[in-house]
Amino acid sequence: MALRVLLFVWIAGALLAGFLWAPTVENLGETTRVLYFHIPSAWIAVLALAWSMLHSLLYLRTRRLEHDDQAAAAAELGILFCIGATASGSLWARAQWGSYWNWDPRETSIFFVLLIYGAYLALRSAVEGDERRARLAAIYSAIAFVAVPFLMFVVPRIYATLHPSPILPQQGEKTGMDPRIRWSFLAMLVGFTGLFFWMMSLRVRVTRAERRRLETREAGA
Amino acid sequence: MNAAAAPAAAVALSLEARGLAHLYTGRRGLQPVSFAVASPGAVAVTGVNGSGKSTLLRLMAGLLRPTAGASALTLGGVAVPPAARREVVGFASPELQFYDEFSALENLAFAAEARGLADPHGLARAALERVGLASRGGDRVTALSSGMKQRLRLAFALLHRPPLLLLDEPGSHLDDEGRALVDRVVDEERRSGLVVIATNEEREWRLAAERIELRGRGLGDPA
Amino acid sequence: MPPNGSSSVAAVWAILRKECRSEWRTRYGLNAALLFAVATLTGVSFAVGRLPDRTDLLSALLWVVLLFASLASLAHAFVKEVEGHTLTLLRLVASPTAIALGKLLFNLLFLGVLEVVTVPLFLILMGGPPPRWGAFLLVLGLGSLALAATTTLVGAVVSQTRGRGALFAAVSLPLLMVVLAAGVSGLRAQWDGNPIGPDVRLLAAYAAAVLGASVLLYDHLWED
Repeated sequence: MALRVLLFVWIAGALLAGFLWAPTVENLGETTRVLYFHIPSAWIAVLALAWSMLHSLLYLRTRRLEHDDQAAAAAELGILFCIGATASGSLWARAQWGSYWNWDPRETSIFFVLLIYGAYLALRSAVEGDERRARLAAIYSAIAFVAVPFLMFVVPRIYATLHPSPILPQQGEKTGMDPRIRWSFLAMLVGFTGLFFWMMSLRVRVTRAERRRLETREAGA
Repeated sequence: MNAAAAPAAAVALSLEARGLAHLYTGRRGLQPVSFAVASPGAVAVTGVNGSGKSTLLRLMAGLLRPTAGASALTLGGVAVPPAARREVVGFASPELQFYDEFSALENLAFAAEARGLADPHGLARAALERVGLASRGGDRVTALSSGMKQRLRLAFALLHRPPLLLLDEPGSHLDDEGRALVDRVVDEERRSGLVVIATNEEREWRLAAERIELRGRGLGDPA
Repeated sequence: MPPNGSSSVAAVWAILRKECRSEWRTRYGLNAALLFAVATLTGVSFAVGRLPDRTDLLSALLWVVLLFASLASLAHAFVKEVEGHTLTLLRLVASPTAIALGKLLFNLLFLGVLEVVTVPLFLILMGGPPPRWGAFLLVLGLGSLALAATTTLVGAVVSQTRGRGALFAAVSLPLLMVVLAAGVSGLRAQWDGNPIGPDVRLLAAYAAAVLGASVLLYDHLWED
């Protein structure tokens, strides 16, 4: 309970710091503020994917449904953060360079992550039976795990093919220039990570409670 | 030539289960069961509908993974892991279907080929003969009646002369002649191997010396 | 009697022959796939016309046509078993890996037949420049291998769900992006006179990775 409050206070504080205390980056102007939301979201989207894949592999190993609960919850939350990251990135690109989408490496990567999430969740929704769903989803997760390094490798080359002459400026997101920006940003990163794991614990608890409810009902009222 | 009449080499087979269960969410399915049976002989598995007779047979065959407990199959003192069970198990159950676009003979020949057996067509013909389908071997499966398909299932289970025969409701769809065939087959196979019959019919479980009674909640159980 | 290598090879071979014989008898899958490929090709050609100098578009369009044709037809191998309820029979006579390998080889053959018809037709209709055949076939071949390996595995998974064609396509697509990117890049390179090395290596590595993962994963596929 106390942790929850602390988490909210922390995130609120980081946001305030980001908006009021930290300055803006040279040529980005007020749009700088997006980086406090956009990058942490993207970071969580990737973290959640890794978490989900790890637990999928653990499920195949141990066949304990707890791992599947983790994998599913991570995917459900991950896609939310991923949509947030994609959308905020797109808006930022529009504000900065006048175009919503350019298939540059970062945009392409986050889009692929979104596709993988979508496929995983679509697959889950098409299977009945806890064990079967867990098993099939885990298998898909394992294949995606193999594909991800290749996707990351392929991504910069897609960009190079579509934009043979670099028209767009370097994305200056990692401007650790002003320490105030850096600190606010890191604080948001930590805050988001905390938020993710807190939401995960809630989600997993709900899943377990639902399963117990179903079992007690079936066991005979 | 009647390969089917030659008795199979009698290698000792034992099948044990310890708390073996397969439960779906909500505790339905096969409740934990323990038993130990061995060849030669015949065992019947009985229980109300939904108590998990078919599930138990599938677990024995290695087609299904248990949610709890374990089963151990040993042949000649060597343990046979679930992945390898299909080689020593003959399985026939109502949901076993054949390839409609192939004939009965082609289906069995394919099965024998895939199992890596020598002379697949010869074995297939012998199996068909044993179940009385020799004249219908060339017919496509779609042309077979349900009784004939049941005989085909029996032939499929006997094809590779397995030491463990798992028969789920072997008498279904069969006329008197068919049922007599089942009696004969069980009688022949129980002399050297182990036959497990899952059934609710008294006529069938009377064939067996031992009986495993499954106590499940069943489908119609209001509780 | 533990399983030995020779019985697995026998199983794979038996399954491959069964698939071919079955396909030959019904011809349902191949007909539909060929028709689909030709229809897509016709649509593209009609919409775009001849592209004698646009190697980038040519590469992309060829792969898109092949991709669509694959997504429309390669799941068929497993769906057939599920709908005919013959999976139990199959699982009783062969190991999961043997089943998967047999189906993979069949899908590869299927894709090959599809390409033998589609690719020349494409080159003629679209007015593409003559390819450097060695490089062209290498990129096409490796890309097809990766395509078949991925779709066979995904097909096996999706065939056990309630979803069908659309789900199969949606679930395969992220995994096939690699093949698409490297395949398009490779074909374009061979037309432009550039080295195909990097793309070929990527395709080969990806195909190997998917096949390697498949061998480990197929044992988990069918457990009920």
